[in-house]
Amino acid sequence: MNTPLPQSRVRVQRIAEAAVERARLTVVPRVRARTPRVPFVIMVSALLVAGVVGLLMFNTTMQQNSFTSTDLEKQAGQLAAEREGLQMELDALNAPQRIAQRATELGMVQGPAPAFIDLRQGKVTGGAATPADGADSFSIEPPAVQKPKELSPEPTIEYVDPPARERRNRDTARSSADEQSATGRNETETNRRGDRSNR
Amino acid sequence: MFRLRIGFIVIAMVLSFFGARLIQLQAIDPKSYAAMAKRDGVITADLPADRGAIVDRSGVELAASVDGMMVIGDPELARDDAPQIARILAERLDLDYFSTLERLRKSGTRYQYLARRVPATKAEAVLKELDELDYKGITLERDPMRNYPSDDIAANLIGFLGEDEPLAGMERTFDTQLAGTDGKATYEVGAGYRIPLGESTTVKPKNGETLQLTIDRDVQFYTQRALAAAVTKARADSGTAVVLDTKTGQTLALADVPTFNANKPPLETKRNAKNLGARSLSEPYEPGSVEKALTFAALIDAGKITPRTRIVVPSEIKRAGAAPIGDHWDHDKIKLTAAGVLAKSSNIGTVIAARRLPSETLYDYLTSFGLGQRTNIGVRGESAGVVPDGATWSEGTHDTIAFGQGLSVNAMQMAAAVNTLANGGVYVDPSLVMGTATTDSGQKVGTSQAGTHRVVSEDAARQTAEMMELVTAEGEAGSAAAVPNYRVAGKTGTAQRVGKDCRCYDGTFTVSFGGFAPADDPRFTVYVVLQNPRNGMGGGGNAGPVFKQVMTYLLGKYGVKPTGTTPSTLPIEW
Repeated sequence: MNTPLPQSRVRVQRIAEAAVERARLTVVPRVRARTPRVPFVIMVSALLVAGVVGLLMFNTTMQQNSFTSTDLEKQAGQLAAEREGLQMELDALNAPQRIAQRATELGMVQGPAPAFIDLRQGKVTGGAATPADGADSFSIEPPAVQKPKELSPEPTIEYVDPPARERRNRDTARSSADEQSATGRNETETNRRGDRSNR
Repeated sequence: MFRLRIGFIVIAMVLSFFGARLIQLQAIDPKSYAAMAKRDGVITADLPADRGAIVDRSGVELAASVDGMMVIGDPELARDDAPQIARILAERLDLDYFSTLERLRKSGTRYQYLARRVPATKAEAVLKELDELDYKGITLERDPMRNYPSDDIAANLIGFLGEDEPLAGMERTFDTQLAGTDGKATYEVGAGYRIPLGESTTVKPKNGETLQLTIDRDVQFYTQRALAAAVTKARADSGTAVVLDTKTGQTLALADVPTFNANKPPLETKRNAKNLGARSLSEPYEPGSVEKALTFAALIDAGKITPRTRIVVPSEIKRAGAAPIGDHWDHDKIKLTAAGVLAKSSNIGTVIAARRLPSETLYDYLTSFGLGQRTNIGVRGESAGVVPDGATWSEGTHDTIAFGQGLSVNAMQMAAAVNTLANGGVYVDPSLVMGTATTDSGQKVGTSQAGTHRVVSEDAARQTAEMMELVTAEGEAGSAAAVPNYRVAGKTGTAQRVGKDCRCYDGTFTVSFGGFAPADDPRFTVYVVLQNPRNGMGGGGNAGPVFKQVMTYLLGKYGVKPTGTTPSTLPIEW
């Protein structure tokens, strides 16, 4: 608590009592400004809702991503398998055996010793160039596999006459059966006979 | 007040029920429930490592892993439509219709293998087709497969995989490198999809490494077909051809006939066991006259003869207690130079010349040429062959070994020995694997392991090459091996074979031809052997043409120009 000195008080009184009187400090009455609760509650609930919804959406997105990634992985696997399949086809087409066979079909033969063309002089060097006459040709077929008799038995063929009653509808049923239509599927008998005639 | 008390009692009862259940779940047998939950949601998937490919020198795949599927049938579901399903499967997947049908109708089972190792695309396509037609009971499972794009090309070297493990060849020898290590993934799934943030651990698979060979697929193909045609034509038991790059000793082709299709390997039986491996290394034989070239190189290197040394060749050499040594043609006393003896392949002349060299010295030369020791190029079951210790040779042994009988070699050894003459007298270890690879017995093989050592002087090698050039001259034994425009050095061989049972020469022959071109600047060494030809022709007639075909192809493919120098003019007679 500050107690003003008596003499100063006297001096102040003397100089400007009225001013002092005006400047005297008084305790300000407490103003209780009641902040409205509603915005706060709204904000908190909004945060909460946003959080929950956000989390939910986050989860959903991740789930969705997981679906997508699984699907994409599956697709990648399929494409990889497809690529491998195509590569295998390409390899088969590239195989020296096939190329040699194609060449033979086209009437080509194994060549004689090569001759060289010197482009600067425009001359054939390294001996005379002789046309290929196939004198050195040999079979490019792979040697046949020799199997013991037990592994390659003679085929047993049995001819069985179809029952006379069913013979009439066989020709009509066969065309549809071959196309594997829904009705052909149930006609097991006809379908199988159709098979045998193809084989 | 009273109602409140009733309420409390009810709540307490309910809670104690919960408590009891809690104790039941957690205290009594808690693990089975955890396991049940796990079984429901957690999946452990194997992540198989991709098996490394085997490729040729330019990276062409000789063996590659492909995503495969096994096709499985459930007869319970498929029985009714069995004929239709079997028909589609038989047509699309090349299966046997009747056995497939039988499997689809089998009772008392729900799991029948219908096909294994089917390319994934093919299997998926068939499954889709069956689905569209509404046939049930066919499922697919992963089943990695191995594809050999060129079927039988180098099959003897590469080998093949069985159902679960490599069974032969390099697939087996280098399995550790090729196989890699499988990985594993454990994760939770819901409705077939992976649960994000769920429990998950992954051990990544370590894929196998590629194995690169020094083989050139195209040369291998050509060599194999040329050899097979010759074996068929000569009605021989088997044949072998080796193609070496002279300077590096790298094997461009190593062909064995009979061979097999690696995509459909035959069952191993006693009869075909040798066909599955590489005879070129596993089957030793007596080399015969090709070996004379080594003897003459040794004689020249030791300063005992020159190509022009005059030798009087009698009609036969009598031996105490053994059949006399004769030549393959009848003659009276003739006068041949050393070069003539080699060109005409006279046993008698060779014996007379070789007697100037002590047994130990000749033995040292032959072992230095690599005979009697494994080449260790990374092929299974290599036989070292036999060169008897020089200290134990009798005069008879010395005589026969000088012209290539009484010792045994494998084809790769002999090719490497001939290659030494091509390479200016320096032996290069032959190799089959690029870089370095470790075999299943822990041995390091490959081009980076190949060493060299000098066997004979450069001069001796050049002079021997000039003598060998006479062999392919017009009218001589090896004229069928001559390549027009090129200088070719070579040597024919027709050796008696030791019978399987009698431990004696049984009247059958091993015919061979080894040589190199161009003779004065060699690039390739080719060595061809046919076992037991039945057409009465020798090394020049049977193996010579194969040598010519393969050498012509090599010179053309690699663009090797003729050297254009004057051919050897050494005299044959005096």
